[in-house]
Amino acid sequence: MQWLINFFISHRNLTVFLILSFTCIWMLLSTQVQQQHIIRYLTISIFYPVQVFINQTTKIKNIFHENQKLKEEVANLSAQLAIAKEYEAENQRLVEMLEISKNFPFTLVPARVVVREPSIISRSAVINAGKNRGILPYMPVITTRGVSGRVVFVTNNLALVQLLIDPANRTSIMLKRTREIGILETENSSVFFIMFRAHADVALKDTVITSGMGGIYPKGLLVGVVSGIEENKDPLFKKAFVQTFENFDKLEEVFVVKLSSQWCSFKNELDSITRVK
Amino acid sequence: MISDLLKWLLMFIFSLILQTSFVPIITLWGIKPDLPLIVLFFFSLKFEVLPAMLVGFFLGLGQDIYSPSMLGQNAFATMVCGAFVGLFNERVMKTDPIIKAVLLFLTIIIHDTLFWLIQIIRLADSFSLLFYNLFRYTFLRCVYSILFASLVFLWDIYIKPKTRW
Repeated sequence: MQWLINFFISHRNLTVFLILSFTCIWMLLSTQVQQQHIIRYLTISIFYPVQVFINQTTKIKNIFHENQKLKEEVANLSAQLAIAKEYEAENQRLVEMLEISKNFPFTLVPARVVVREPSIISRSAVINAGKNRGILPYMPVITTRGVSGRVVFVTNNLALVQLLIDPANRTSIMLKRTREIGILETENSSVFFIMFRAHADVALKDTVITSGMGGIYPKGLLVGVVSGIEENKDPLFKKAFVQTFENFDKLEEVFVVKLSSQWCSFKNELDSITRVK
Repeated sequence: MISDLLKWLLMFIFSLILQTSFVPIITLWGIKPDLPLIVLFFFSLKFEVLPAMLVGFFLGLGQDIYSPSMLGQNAFATMVCGAFVGLFNERVMKTDPIIKAVLLFLTIIIHDTLFWLIQIIRLADSFSLLFYNLFRYTFLRCVYSILFASLVFLWDIYIKPKTRW
């Protein structure tokens, strides 16, 4: 017996190697059920701390996955919410447009702004209605808030709208209260003004409407409100500043008023004069 | 001594966690480094054959329990690897990084050869599978593992020059 112990001690590496090898072979040769028993025994005995550690780590890993999944879900829901809000706002606008089209004496063609001029201040816009829907040049373009501009160029499916903020666009207007007539102008696409004669009756908060002159806009369309008056600079004129009802930065849906310009019937005659010149 | 053992235990657990969480991310064409084996390699270089064998056995057993392999398959392969590297431990001989890299290469080849041999014998599969797996996976796995181990070699040479493994 003593020689055996001495042998094990002197050849401990080999002994342990053989014991471990036989253990491995025994585990490998055992049946599936026996292997499951061994695994169960090991996991609840010597590998229990490791098991606990791995479980905790797996939990942390799951938390990360869950967090990631929740983030994705939040992103999806945020996108859906934004779309829903957009639909809601569009719905609101369309309801307003429907109301105005019911009460308006002229035929209105609804259109959506599809292109804005890519400048800081958008001076023209392209709408998705053209000759195919009966749009012609010089037809007025309005929204539920008031006048927006006029059609200046038409293709089959699109039309270019010159907005009121274009300095080249001058609109004949009148004050609703005193029927004073003037021309709405802008020099920088943001400040609108009308030059009235010095004795004209103009007051703050006077509503500005289209005068019906100029042959493009029908009379009585809302334009804006007088927001300031400059009287002392010029002895002949007073300058009334106008705050337009339309927000040109947020132009999305518009109506084209199906109204040919008043001088349309003379167009051929005018054209012939131009040709003769 | 206890703090040393605790340090190694933590390193083994950390390597196992990394093997299951981080390594799948950096797997390239089915080839991945074997981090627990790398840690065992350095452990075996530091200690002697007997602890290296025992640690290798339990490490492999742990891998067998927590991975879908046959019970005893990894335990045997890793135990033999521990015994093999333990023969070259630094109490017996000083090895430079090149030798260590070659040793690691051989260790992984021994591990995989045993692993696949056991599988082939147990499932009565063709021996050509062994060579296919060795050529298809093991050699690249060796290179990939040596790349990871080289971080430790660099640490050993440049950052921690006074303390050898």
